[in-house]
Amino acid sequence: MATQLRELPPVRIFVSSAAFAFKALFSWLRPEMWLMQVFTLPLFEMAFFVYLASFVAPTTPNIAFIAVGNAMQVASFSSIFAVCNLTSEEKWQGTLIPIIATPANRFPLFLGRAMFQILNGMTSIVVGFVYANYVFGVDMSRTDFVTLAVVILITSLAMTGFGLMLGSVGLFMRTAMIIANIFLFIGHLLCGVNFPVTVLPVWVQPFSYVIPMTYGTMAARAAVQGANIIGIAPVLLQEIATGVGSILVGYLLFVGFEALARRRGTLEEY
Amino acid sequence: MDVWELPEKPEKAIVVRDLRREYHSSKGIFRKKREIVEAVKGISFEVDFGELFGLVGPNGAGKTTTIKMLTTLLTPTSGTANVLGFDIVKNVTDIRRRIGIIFGGERGLYYRVSGRENLRYFADLYGVPMSKREKRINDLLDLVGLKDRADDRVEGYSRGMKQRLHIAKGLINDPELMFMDEPTIGLDPEAARETRAMMKGLVERGKTILLTTHYMFEADELCRRIGVISSGKIVALDSPSELKRFVKDITVIEVEAFGVVDADLATIRRQPDVTNVSADLEGERQTVRIQTAKGSEFIPVVTRLLSRAKIMDVRTKEPTLEDAYLKLVA
Amino acid sequence: MKPELQTFVGSFRMSQLNFFSDPQWIIPNIMAPFVFTAVALVFFRNVSGPLALYAVLGGGMMGMWGNTLYGAGFALSFDRWNGTLEYVLGTPSRLVWIVAGRSASSAVLGLVNAFAVLLIAVFGYRAELGITNPLAFVVALVLTLASLSALGILFCSSFLLTRSAQLLTNGLEMPIYVASGSMFPIALLPFWSHPLSLALGPTWGIDAMRYAADVSYTGMGFGYWSDILVVLVSTLVYLAIGFWLFIVVERKARRDASLVEY
Repeated sequence: MATQLRELPPVRIFVSSAAFAFKALFSWLRPEMWLMQVFTLPLFEMAFFVYLASFVAPTTPNIAFIAVGNAMQVASFSSIFAVCNLTSEEKWQGTLIPIIATPANRFPLFLGRAMFQILNGMTSIVVGFVYANYVFGVDMSRTDFVTLAVVILITSLAMTGFGLMLGSVGLFMRTAMIIANIFLFIGHLLCGVNFPVTVLPVWVQPFSYVIPMTYGTMAARAAVQGANIIGIAPVLLQEIATGVGSILVGYLLFVGFEALARRRGTLEEY
Repeated sequence: MDVWELPEKPEKAIVVRDLRREYHSSKGIFRKKREIVEAVKGISFEVDFGELFGLVGPNGAGKTTTIKMLTTLLTPTSGTANVLGFDIVKNVTDIRRRIGIIFGGERGLYYRVSGRENLRYFADLYGVPMSKREKRINDLLDLVGLKDRADDRVEGYSRGMKQRLHIAKGLINDPELMFMDEPTIGLDPEAARETRAMMKGLVERGKTILLTTHYMFEADELCRRIGVISSGKIVALDSPSELKRFVKDITVIEVEAFGVVDADLATIRRQPDVTNVSADLEGERQTVRIQTAKGSEFIPVVTRLLSRAKIMDVRTKEPTLEDAYLKLVA
Repeated sequence: MKPELQTFVGSFRMSQLNFFSDPQWIIPNIMAPFVFTAVALVFFRNVSGPLALYAVLGGGMMGMWGNTLYGAGFALSFDRWNGTLEYVLGTPSRLVWIVAGRSASSAVLGLVNAFAVLLIAVFGYRAELGITNPLAFVVALVLTLASLSALGILFCSSFLLTRSAQLLTNGLEMPIYVASGSMFPIALLPFWSHPLSLALGPTWGIDAMRYAADVSYTGMGFGYWSDILVVLVSTLVYLAIGFWLFIVVERKARRDASLVEY
């Protein structure tokens, strides 16, 4: 392993690892299952909170707020859960050590894997908006769809970055799945999905503001009501900043954990 | 035997008649192609009580499939088999009560609980009477030498210890007949030796064992009779000494060399009177084994054909069971 | 001891031991119910009276359900990954009893979940809970738990044939939360979904629990005892179907070798 081998170009690793993730996902589950994930999960999560809100305040439930929030929140499943899963499934199947041992540029490797999940996430959000509009009657007549598309793209990317950071933690600990599960749902509470962040206790709010989704829901609502990109630029920039920040932190953690794990020999513990 | 006694003892422990098994698999994600693979193509054999019977063959020959059918994990596509007098399709529960199963490898234990709890669980699944359960567990732990680590989590066991726990687990229902699928695979030599000694001990105590392995020397050492499986069919079935007679007219020329390439081997294979050539070309010291009817007069031919390599030693050897096996499965 | 009971108890015990060897795995199970309850309590913050009970009961219910389904469906996947599935299948014990033991173990752990949610709601959110008829409540709770376990067994038999048990578990969790009226009356749901809701034993169980907890509750309108009856009957029906399905599935698995593929 000390031998110097030619470094493969990161782009090639990126593409081939994305393709690998795609194939691996489908060898593990059949397309029917994946379709179910994309199409039914958004519907039921949205339904749950919409009906709950209707129950509590029958006269003026803010359905639009909740439906849009939940449509965006759906991306959490793909981005966070899947990315964390990718690293923990690797561990399970014992392939982690050979990969870490290759001279490939390691971070593009994981980034490539995440790419498929980014697309998955975006598709899920779009499906979520379809439900919001047609099932729950959210008025999208004034929506700036281009802006919304940009919001969806940025949120998906940023959340995937967030997921990669969580995945880096999971690389080292046995608890990747647990972290993933926590962050899968905590968005409902922290990210302005069902109610504004300002409702939360003051000491909780800082946590909301480091998660990209918080900005995503704000931006999405604005776009649905007709704001254009200029109008929501500040929010989008903040979202990009949190996303990039997550990736950086994730990369540092990745490198750090890898070195630590090599010294301690804990990579294969699960 | 626990609560259920054998009705009346059948003549043979295992009787297999023309057993076949197909596998269906589908390839591809969207356009599924169905493939039918016949893993076992009509095998027949019998195993006596108190015998250690071996099924040997290369990977993919059908050994594991056969064992899975006989242990009732798979139903055959056609053919019949009786295990301890019970039909493998119709009397599944009767068979499962009376047999023990050991698959080789690390997996098959619950890592986060202790060895003792693993045994307790399987004792319950096998219906070992509560009055006998603890004593039997302790006896088995004694037998396999795990008494002092019994209450530690299995995840802390060494490979050899896990193997010993596997054996204890396989004996938890005090079975009459045991099936062992490559039990020594992946074990270090000492653990493998211990396992073999244990198998011999079990047979001495009157148990019947059907063993699959691809280690010829193991089959030679342990088995009274061996069935050689290749590509789903039994190509030979006899005692080790009888099987060696397959190759009694053959001499083995073993060459230790350096710099032999595949093309050389191909050339040797093309020679008349050469029945088989096998070689280990990895590493610095290469070994080539040539089976030939010609005997030591063939040696000059060999040295000539391998002239491009550097030959360090040439020996003639008596054919072993491995040679017989290689000839049979070629 | 009868073999079936021995299998059931042994399986229950192993399930508990496995769980307690790594207790942090409770977190995935309680995360969704906990978060959803928290959101519900935020929704309910300006509403007074027994509605808080809805939130807390619902959250507890979801905690129970998630854990049961998770325990039943995931347990066999766990065996598959662990390499123990073939050994377990090779024993003379019927698979349905092994799963029943695990399902029961998950239900008990689900109860612990429910308690956790309850405690957090009461102390964290200072929700007020008064239960009018504790005995009736406990009876309804236990029966709902049994109904959940039976449903778990039923679903597990279908999980046997797919590698994607985990995905299916996640996929079913939300629909059940919605359809069972755990946090809001099913009257709010579109009418065509009502038969589906009513086919779920736990829907009736939760209704019964609310009757026992709150005197003024009108709910589905059938009354406590009708609810209890339906829960009982549905539990038996689920068990019957589950038992039958397991026989079918075991036979099929031996034909296709589908169980032991990873």
